[in-house]
Amino acid sequence: MTFSVLLQSIISGVLIGGVYALIGIGLTIIFGVMRVINFAHGDIMMVGMYLTYFLFTLAGIDPFISVLITMPLMFLFGAILQRIFINRILGSLPQNQILLTIGLGLIMSNTTMLAFTSDYKILTTTYSSSSFNLGGISISEPLLISFLITAAITAALYWFLIKTDTGQAIRATAQDREAAQLMGINVKWMSILSFGIGSAMAGTAGALIAPTYYIFPQVGSAFTLKAFVITVLGGMGSIVGATLGGIIIGLVESVAAVTISSDWKDVVVFSIFLLVLLIKPSGLMGKSRM
Amino acid sequence: MKAFNPLHSQRGASAVQVSIGIAVIAALFAFPQFVESPYVLHMMILFFLSTLMGQSWNIIGGYAGQYSVGHAAYFGTGAYTTLILLTTREIAPWYGMWVGIAASIVLALIIGSICFRLRGPYFVLASIAVAEIVRGTALNLTDLTKGAEGILVTDIPVFNIGETIITDFSSKVPYYYIALVLALIIIGVTWLVQHSKLGYYFQAIREDQDAAHSLGINLTIWKNSALVISAAFTSLAGSFYAIFVKFIDPSTVLPLDLSVQIVLISIIGGIGTIFGPVIGALVLVPLSEALRSNVIAQGLINSGLVSEDSGVGIFLKENLAHAHVLIYGILVVVVILFMPEGVLGYFRKMAAKKKGGNA
Amino acid sequence: MAILEIKHVSKFFGGLAANSDVSFEITEGMIMGLIGPNGAGKTTLFNCITGYYPPSKGEIIFNGRTMNHLQPDAVCKLGMARTWQKVRPLAKMTVVDNVMVGALCRTNSIKKAREMAMEQVKVVRLEHRADFLAGGLPIGERKKLEVARVMATQPRLLLLDEVMGGLNPAESEEIIQLILDIKKLGITQMVIEHDMKAIMRISDRVVVLCSGEKLAEGSPQEVVSNPEVITAYLGSE
Repeated sequence: MTFSVLLQSIISGVLIGGVYALIGIGLTIIFGVMRVINFAHGDIMMVGMYLTYFLFTLAGIDPFISVLITMPLMFLFGAILQRIFINRILGSLPQNQILLTIGLGLIMSNTTMLAFTSDYKILTTTYSSSSFNLGGISISEPLLISFLITAAITAALYWFLIKTDTGQAIRATAQDREAAQLMGINVKWMSILSFGIGSAMAGTAGALIAPTYYIFPQVGSAFTLKAFVITVLGGMGSIVGATLGGIIIGLVESVAAVTISSDWKDVVVFSIFLLVLLIKPSGLMGKSRM
Repeated sequence: MKAFNPLHSQRGASAVQVSIGIAVIAALFAFPQFVESPYVLHMMILFFLSTLMGQSWNIIGGYAGQYSVGHAAYFGTGAYTTLILLTTREIAPWYGMWVGIAASIVLALIIGSICFRLRGPYFVLASIAVAEIVRGTALNLTDLTKGAEGILVTDIPVFNIGETIITDFSSKVPYYYIALVLALIIIGVTWLVQHSKLGYYFQAIREDQDAAHSLGINLTIWKNSALVISAAFTSLAGSFYAIFVKFIDPSTVLPLDLSVQIVLISIIGGIGTIFGPVIGALVLVPLSEALRSNVIAQGLINSGLVSEDSGVGIFLKENLAHAHVLIYGILVVVVILFMPEGVLGYFRKMAAKKKGGNA
Repeated sequence: MAILEIKHVSKFFGGLAANSDVSFEITEGMIMGLIGPNGAGKTTLFNCITGYYPPSKGEIIFNGRTMNHLQPDAVCKLGMARTWQKVRPLAKMTVVDNVMVGALCRTNSIKKAREMAMEQVKVVRLEHRADFLAGGLPIGERKKLEVARVMATQPRLLLLDEVMGGLNPAESEEIIQLILDIKKLGITQMVIEHDMKAIMRISDRVVVLCSGEKLAEGSPQEVVSNPEVITAYLGSE
């Protein structure tokens, strides 16, 4: 295995890691604010993928541009989910919360299967397989664009959370829900916003990888698990952590695929997950500091 | 609040209850002598198997409060061990299943040592991760497991004691009796657990781990004990499934769906109770079957609610059969939102309310 | 004979010294009061003593045996048991079952455990609640349940953390009687309490903690008239 192959895999690992980071950020916001472990996260991403697919095939809208449509729609979707379902179990046992979100995820994926069949759908754009050549290394064009969009979104999100009143209210709620409530923050609304934002992130991640991944109803579950690895690795509730975690996992996956084998890469990722849980369960950045 | 304690069966069941129990068991044993339909026997077998799976999980999840959503790992280990030994070394499944149990116990101890230091949701996540690792391993160790292709078995060896042939497994009847006995055994084990130190300690751990710890309970030993018992019986269920269906692959015996289903059986009926999983199985098995065989779709059409030729009618007829996982999802959501204590818990609450609850 | 020796015990959480060089001894059969303003480190000390976490420095010696790195279950089996400041009933189990969990520390037989449990349930006068779910009890009865449960473990040293907290005078009086009855059985006790009158009545000696350090030690009268103690309490109002 040559150095350039390794370098290649490192670069594409980092690029895909950006999208992973977006998924992880969504999950960590949801956990940070509501302490809910959202097992439907990958399925929400799947919804984003299908949305993007249909916007492209039925309306001819380029996937990267359709992010402008998908993001707000997925935000709405998440907000509705929160209001109808998640809100009711905020005080329940964490085990029950997980089971509820697992159930919601199953409903999403299986409804999609009933509606659109399990056939793999492929979204091919003109640039789906184009790549740049940088000093002998081939860089996938769609992946690069995704990475750049992800970086922009992450920066915007960060700005929102730090500079705006609403963003700060969300962070306050994440830090101490009761105290935030006493300060007059409408924590119920914060929960709805966070689930909306988290879902928007997941849905957008789906939109961004739609040009490069197979689209099928069950695609979400693999991403849910990966999202958890990312957020635990980075530290549940930490956006910086999720960003780091996403890139690390993207890297590990990519490098494992060329050094060990592509079949075992999932096992490697989950093993890292267990290691983190054992050694430093609070993750790289520690717990709950957005 | 008076204790209609769903977690505490009446001390010394009444004579009436015991008699009814014996009568039911006797009837179940006599059943195949009167009912020959392989379809009905098949349904009963699925019911017993679901009971076995649900009751096994109940020990670690319901009593000890450690929600493993990765129990498919033990089911699959039992299934694969049994069939691998049968197809490669011609070891009969009634020996192979013990190896499966041993392997599952080892797996449980490993999982326990990794996961039990984690609390609540992290434990759930870890259990899922481990099950996925097992599934990924089964997919990739193709020399051993044949990977995604799965293992197919055509002949189960004849089971004899000495010179007498007990069964050649050519009908559903021997499977029926095996499944019935296994279900009765696990119900018996659950009863024993509940009425022994194990039950008290498991429940104490569930209710408040730190308090339990301070009362002299070694958390590691007792949590692992619960998991080992649970894993062993789940493995047994997997071994049985393997020789009943005669085909296994990672997507049928090791997926997350299966782990969720196992949890669902207990949750629907009422976790931490002796008969909760039985009720859960009683609900889920007919429901699955009704969906699979289009009974529901047909019923809706026959009752005139839906016209056979309408878009809805055609859609239902073609698709409801594949919708059983969707229904599981809906069930989970409904149960968690409205009946988190399960059917048993729900009815006991209603009964307690009627009796004028407050102290 | 000193049944418990606390030797230069300190506990740090990051940069915060929750306990700082605390030393004292408890002789067998006595009742030691542990008082101090909120945040003085009393519960932290209890947690260190019972193995919930180990002390950062110093030694905890029970019956001549160093306890520093033992787990809470081992500590209980060796004869030291504690109640919790915020009661921890096993909510979905009955009162009797709760106490049986304690009794099962000393026996493997359910029958024997039930006998032992009912005895303790009677001592704290909760027989009329024996089959009630612990989660449904009012606070006063929960506190009594916790005492019964911990007594079923047959401790030689009992650590009571604000067992009278949140109780009305009648309930507090019941608890005081319980504590005195327990003393008659020869069981040593260390009691954290805010109720000064109660402390004065029941304690043989009192240790005062303030900001993690031991401020004073002596008979109840000595401690109560100690000007530093008075300042600590009044000053922290």
